[in-house]
Amino acid sequence: MTTPLIGVSKSLLKIKELINHVANTCLNVLITGETGVGKEVVAQNLYEESPRTEHNFVKINCAALPETLLESELYGYEKGAFTGAHKKRPGKFQSAHKGVLFLDEIGDMPLSLQSKMLHVLQSGEFSPLGSDQDFKTDVWVIAATNHDLEKRIKQKQFREDLFYRLNIIKIDIPPLRERTEDIPLLVEYYFKLYKSEYPNNPGSKPDEDTMVRLCNYPWPGNVRQLQNCIKKQMVINSWDKVFDEMPAEDSHAIVPDISAHDSVKKGETRNLHPDFANDRISLISEFVDLSTSSEKLLQEISLKKIKKKASDRVEKEVITFVLEKVGWNRSRAAKILKVSYKTLLYKMSEFDINPPSK
Amino acid sequence: MADPIRLLIVDDNEDILSTFSEFFNSMGYNVKTAVDGFVALKLLREKAHDFDCLITDLVMPNISGVGLISIVKKEYPDLKIIAMTGYGDQPGALASEARADVVLFKPVDLFKIEEKIIALLDVSNLKKHE
Repeated sequence: MTTPLIGVSKSLLKIKELINHVANTCLNVLITGETGVGKEVVAQNLYEESPRTEHNFVKINCAALPETLLESELYGYEKGAFTGAHKKRPGKFQSAHKGVLFLDEIGDMPLSLQSKMLHVLQSGEFSPLGSDQDFKTDVWVIAATNHDLEKRIKQKQFREDLFYRLNIIKIDIPPLRERTEDIPLLVEYYFKLYKSEYPNNPGSKPDEDTMVRLCNYPWPGNVRQLQNCIKKQMVINSWDKVFDEMPAEDSHAIVPDISAHDSVKKGETRNLHPDFANDRISLISEFVDLSTSSEKLLQEISLKKIKKKASDRVEKEVITFVLEKVGWNRSRAAKILKVSYKTLLYKMSEFDINPPSK
Repeated sequence: MADPIRLLIVDDNEDILSTFSEFFNSMGYNVKTAVDGFVALKLLREKAHDFDCLITDLVMPNISGVGLISIVKKEYPDLKIIAMTGYGDQPGALASEARADVVLFKPVDLFKIEEKIIALLDVSNLKKHE
C-alpha cells in the first residue's frame, strides 16, 4: 500500500496539488529534499495517480551499488557478458517497461553511467551488457536526490545536460522543521499505524506538552527520524526517555544543509560542517579529475603525483609573488627564496613563469 | 476592430514579467501572467481564459518551461508557443524537442518577440472577425 502524503502545511498541500496536475503527463520528475523527508513517498504517489499503475514501480538506489553492478542492474546483461554472467538477466529498465523507474540518490550516480543514462533518456533505447541489440523502452523516470545538483554540476560531478533532462518537473520537499504544522498529523498517523501493527505494545500518545516539544525539535533526520521515535516510544513507553536519546535539539545548527553535501548521510563525518566537506572536494578536484569514472579515478589517484602537483602549484605562486615584489630581479629573488640563481631559472622555465610583457 | 490577441506570459523573474506585460499591454494585446509553469498550467486548465500564444521562460521551479511546453502541445495543440531562455543551449534544445514554435535566447528584443507573434498567428487570419 502506498503511504499517503500527510500534512496540512502550505508546502505539502502544494506538492499534493502539483502531483495531481502532473501525474498523468509522465514527464521526467526530479524530487529534491533532505534525507528522510519522504522523496520515495512522493514518487509512489505520482505513480499511484498516473495511468501506469498496471505496470511496475521499480526502484534502484544509485548510491548503494558499485558502478559496474549498478550498470548491470539498470540495463541487464546477456549470458557470458562478463565473468559470472551465467545466464541472461533483465535490467530495471526492462522490469519498469510501461511503468515507473525510480532512480533514488541520482546525485551519486558515477559520471560514466550518467552519460549512458542521458543517452537512454534521449533515445528511449538501451542495450543490455554484452548485447548488440537495442531495446525500445517506455519508462517514466522519477529521480530523487538530497544533493544540490547545481552545486555538483559546478564541481563537475554531475552532467548539466542530464540535470536539465531530469528537471522537467521539480518537486522540492522542505525539511520537517520548516513545516512543523505537519508534525501532529504525522504523529497521529504513525502512532495509529504502529499500534495496529503491534497492538500489544504499551506506547501512549503524546500529551499536549510533549506535542509542543515534538513540534519544536528540529528533526535533522526529518520524517524518518520522527517515525523511529514513535516506534521507540511504542516499545519503551516513555516520551522523556525518547527525548533523552534524541540528538541535541540544536543539532541542525551543526548540519544546516544536509542536502548540499555528501558525507553526512553516510555517517562518515557526522559533526563536520558541510562547508569543510565541500572545501575538501573542491581542493581535491584541483589536483585530481573527479569527472572520470570511479574505477579510473582510483587508478589515477596517487599521493606522490598529487604531492608533486600541489607543491609545484604552491612553488609557482611563491616564486611569482617574490619576483613581483622585487621587480623581477632574479638574483634578489633567488636570495630571498634561499635557492641558487640556477635553480630559480630552472624553476621559472619549468613552471613557465614570465615577467609581464611591457 | 479585431479582438485583441491574448497572451499568456510565464517567467519566474517578476521584473521581466512586468516589463513584458507593460509592453504588450501598450501594444494593444490582452496579457495574463504566471510566475512558473505550474501557475500557468492551472490557468490554462481552468479554461476560463483562452489564449492565442504562450510566451514562456524555460528554467523555472515546479513545472519548468520545457514541461509546460510538452503538456501544452499535447493538451492544447493549437496554442502557439514562444520559448525564451537565458541558460545556454541545453534548455533551448529541450524546448525545441518539446516542439516549441520559436526558441529565443535572452536578452530578447521585445519588438522581435512581437514580430514572431504576428508571424506565428498569421494575424491577417485573425482579423477575419473584423
